[in-house]
Amino acid sequence: MVRILLQQIRRDRLTLPIWILGTVALLAVSATAVATEFGDADGRRTVLSLALATPALLALRGIPNGDSLGSTVHFQSFAFLAVTIGLMNTFLATRHGRADEEKGRRELVAATPAFRLSPPIATLLLGLIANGLFVVVAKAGYEAAGLDASGALLSAVALGVTGLAFLGISMLAGELTATSRGANGIGVVVVLASYAFRAAGDALGTPDIAKLTLQPAWPSWLSPIGWGQQTLAFTDDNWAPVAWIAVLAVVTATVALIVHSRRELGASLLPERAGRATARAALRSPFALAWWLQSSALLAWTVGSALLGVALGSLVTAISGSDLGDTPAVAQILQSLGHTQGDLGRALIPALMTMVGVLAAAAGVQAVLRMRDEESDGRAETVLTTPHSRAVWLLSFTAVGAASVVVVLLATGLAAVAGFAALGEADDGWLSLGQGLAQGPAALTFVGLAAVLMALLPRAAVALSWGIFAVGVGIGLFGGLLGLDDDVQKISPFANVPALPSDDWVPTILIGAIALVLGAIAALLFRRRDLVT
Amino acid sequence: MTTVIEVQDLVKTFGRTRALDGLDLSVDEGEVHGFLGPNGSGKSTTIRVLLGMLRRRSGHATVFGRDPWRDAVTIHRDVAYVPGDVSLWPNLSGGETIDFLTRLRGGADAGLRASLLKDFDLDPKKKGRSYSKGNRQKVALVAAFARPARLYIFDEPTSGLDPVMESVFRAHVERVQQGGATVLLSSHILSEVEQLCDRVTIVRAGKAVETGTLREMRHLTRTSFRVATGARLADVQKLAGVHDARAEADALVFDADTTAVNDVLAALTKAGVSSLTVSPPSLEDLFLRHYGDTIDAEPAA
Repeated sequence: MVRILLQQIRRDRLTLPIWILGTVALLAVSATAVATEFGDADGRRTVLSLALATPALLALRGIPNGDSLGSTVHFQSFAFLAVTIGLMNTFLATRHGRADEEKGRRELVAATPAFRLSPPIATLLLGLIANGLFVVVAKAGYEAAGLDASGALLSAVALGVTGLAFLGISMLAGELTATSRGANGIGVVVVLASYAFRAAGDALGTPDIAKLTLQPAWPSWLSPIGWGQQTLAFTDDNWAPVAWIAVLAVVTATVALIVHSRRELGASLLPERAGRATARAALRSPFALAWWLQSSALLAWTVGSALLGVALGSLVTAISGSDLGDTPAVAQILQSLGHTQGDLGRALIPALMTMVGVLAAAAGVQAVLRMRDEESDGRAETVLTTPHSRAVWLLSFTAVGAASVVVVLLATGLAAVAGFAALGEADDGWLSLGQGLAQGPAALTFVGLAAVLMALLPRAAVALSWGIFAVGVGIGLFGGLLGLDDDVQKISPFANVPALPSDDWVPTILIGAIALVLGAIAALLFRRRDLVT
Repeated sequence: MTTVIEVQDLVKTFGRTRALDGLDLSVDEGEVHGFLGPNGSGKSTTIRVLLGMLRRRSGHATVFGRDPWRDAVTIHRDVAYVPGDVSLWPNLSGGETIDFLTRLRGGADAGLRASLLKDFDLDPKKKGRSYSKGNRQKVALVAAFARPARLYIFDEPTSGLDPVMESVFRAHVERVQQGGATVLLSSHILSEVEQLCDRVTIVRAGKAVETGTLREMRHLTRTSFRVATGARLADVQKLAGVHDARAEADALVFDADTTAVNDVLAALTKAGVSSLTVSPPSLEDLFLRHYGDTIDAEPAA
């Protein structure tokens, strides 16, 4: 068992430190941001009262509990951090559980005199070590940001124990399904559902403006993340929820171990779903393949961005009606993000829609880069030895990338129309839809660029595409805040999107034309190179 | 007879490695042509040049008289191909993959598809990710055979199949050949080529070292004798064209050049023979001659 544990630690010697340090970095950044951006207790009280009046913000963040610096940080970041730590534990459980079994590595271990339960117990120990380390580092992170020690300890422990609960749940998921993909899928869904349940519960909760807190509605009580928020760290320091979460962790892990000790190698509680014996009639072209490969990811992108679109309405309305705009720093940030000088509510729409444009571009780039996987795994060769040209193949994936951009923008825009209409602000809804679609050409340039890189430098295409994407997004969104020159900012397509209403459409049309030309160049270039695996 | 594949002096380089170094290959219409060589000798590279996946550096290559790089799409209308390492879409079932791939070529013959699934004993409902190597290969083979083609190209098609499935594969190769199709089959499995192929091209280090029918090639090799005889070892060793002679329990064992067989038999009969086993040269011998120079070397006597 010790050997198995040591081997697992060795395998994870980079992965786990990156997750732990990354999550703590997120925590530290969030703590510092609260300290600097919200100003003193008065500033925090303004922000928190605004949040209590804005269901969208409550859903996104969590439940406020007083105006101290620590509790504001807890409100801002606990749910996010719990998701991150939950995902770390999900992947950990599957990596050392079902994935090992699926790939046949477990069979090698099972053939040795090691006990049948040794690998899962080693995985549990690894989880204890990883989450324990996280607690230590996270507490240090909170304290480094100047928060008080007892609250820091409680918040860090609550996160670590939540992580262990998700470890138990994911180990159980690994007993349920026969594939690592399925196990990770269940684990991720549980983590996201835990976030979503508490989001719904918090948004529907009963605010208490005087104490700056909130009594969440029942859905929050179904979620371990919701329990963790109930620690009310930095104000009430309530340790009871930690015990509830710990019980959940122990129960799920124990059930997973019991099932594991009783089942055969490779077996699972849920039978593996059989596929179709024949293909759907539509699956008959490279385009159909590219569309099918992207479809589940695109559904996720669409649902996520549509939720954002719905939230947009309540967010903009709340901020326009608040006195937040009197804080010049906040107004300046929003105007810079939206590349506009307009009033605050109006600046918010382009600012948020630029972020939606970024999401749309990411969805599109992802679809295009799927080509690289197809090529390096040899499936591209199988398709390209049928009478379909390389240009058709490449343009199919690129078209699906472009369609992903349009679908995400449309979904967000239409959801915003609905969200604003519910608040009686239909005009702002249509403005949001227009502002969303105006991001199209800028997002499409990244799709075109990824296609060109794929055609030209296949081995470097994935890294280069995402690298250029990150730089472009960084300059486009934050260039103004970083004090970059206007001309430098204009390098990023996103910095050239006009804030509606606008009558200067020349840059947008030019950018759209560039995107089209990039696609055409990619198709021509791809004809000229060898396929490389 | 028309030539379906014509390759002359083909060169392909990857960086500094010369994967193909002046390779020649000629496949006639209607024949099953074996493309034989050890791993890394350039078989797959040649096939990928012929399919327009790789661009040749120099030399001449045509398929159906067309340039495989420029006219890839036209050529592919008449080609069915099974790669050496079959990779399937993890979330598509075997049946879906077969339908998709055959539809890309114009659609499967439904009856043929059903009988192939039965012959290859393949469950079409399993997802691509859960197939073993052999089953992935079967999916690709069914997809290739389910729609008739003029040229079938198989890259080490049976490396993951068991002997029963190998014989199913052979039966289908014979079936398409009787239908007039041409088959190029790369392999390092000798028995497979021996049983199926009309002609063979042997490659080594990116060059064709030998080509012809197996009958022609056997001229170039030796016949193995195992004989219980009154003749003494020393007498047999003296005969011209006899190699590696040695005495084993009650028998003399040696190889003889094909040209020397007549003389050897005459000498043996003279001395008296009580039992005689003569084996034809296997392709193993051909391989050893080209790739195992040490075994081929004569004892310096």
